[in-house]
Amino acid sequence: MRKSYVNNNIKVNEFDALIKITVEMSKYLYPYIREILKSKEDIKDNSIIWNDFNKRFIELIKERFNIDSMRVKKLLNQAENGEIIIKSLLILSFCISNQGYQKLKNFLYNF
Amino acid sequence: MQNKLSFHQSSVRLEIIGLPDYSNNENIDQISIISQWKLTIVDKPLIEGKIEHLGPIMDAFYIYSNLLIKNEIPIYESKLIDIKADNLHIHNIVLKSSKANVKPLVLKIGNSLLSDTINCFDQLNESPKVRIKKTDTPNIIPKKLKFGLNKKVKFFNFFIPPFFAICSLILFSSSFIYFYSPFENIEKKELTNPE
Repeated sequence: MRKSYVNNNIKVNEFDALIKITVEMSKYLYPYIREILKSKEDIKDNSIIWNDFNKRFIELIKERFNIDSMRVKKLLNQAENGEIIIKSLLILSFCISNQGYQKLKNFLYNF
Repeated sequence: MQNKLSFHQSSVRLEIIGLPDYSNNENIDQISIISQWKLTIVDKPLIEGKIEHLGPIMDAFYIYSNLLIKNEIPIYESKLIDIKADNLHIHNIVLKSSKANVKPLVLKIGNSLLSDTINCFDQLNESPKVRIKKTDTPNIIPKKLKFGLNKKVKFFNFFIPPFFAICSLILFSSSFIYFYSPFENIEKKELTNPE
């Protein structure tokens, strides 16, 4: 999915390190994640945060992902990407405890 | 004098009230005998109950959140609590009283409050000061999946190169079949020179 010509498999220790970084980042960013989720709940009254986030999300996907891939096209489609984004944010928001590393790992294994 | 511990996460607060188990030589600030718990969600009615209700309610939230993420139908039903999704953003919680003639309490919470509640329960589970029968959050990775991630790459790396080598050898050698066929040549010679 990434805009790269090298297709290397991720090593287990690299995968673990990425999970640790993600958990630490989501602890730090939890208030923002929460506000984005809240904004989507009452989209009629409070759509600014969700729209800004979605716009930036699409910008980053276009910049760093292979936009010819069908899966990436699905992420860019604003009508379809809502569910994927909400579920990803929910996963991050559930993993901010001290055992968040283990929880996120389990979520990803079962995804 | 009872001990009181509070766990906060944004709009949700969980209070645990109880006593230490002195027979177990526990510290004064420890809670092992829980007498009361209260779950306060901003703008929602107070939820409180007996100790035997706390475990099933925590389990219900954990199971429901797992179902929500795994793309399965997010419905949890039990004698004590029902949780259903109205849509991806709003969740309907029905708390049923064990007393007769008491109407069930219905709450609607969004994803933000759901994650706050889960995080409060996580804090309680991880707190060294409260000893409760820990809920079984799925922390153990199934063996099948463990094998899947670690061995899958190695399996393919090991077998794919020889597989391609054999295939290319077959393709390459099969092309030689059309270059020379001694029997056909002999037959042609016999036809041209009938003597």
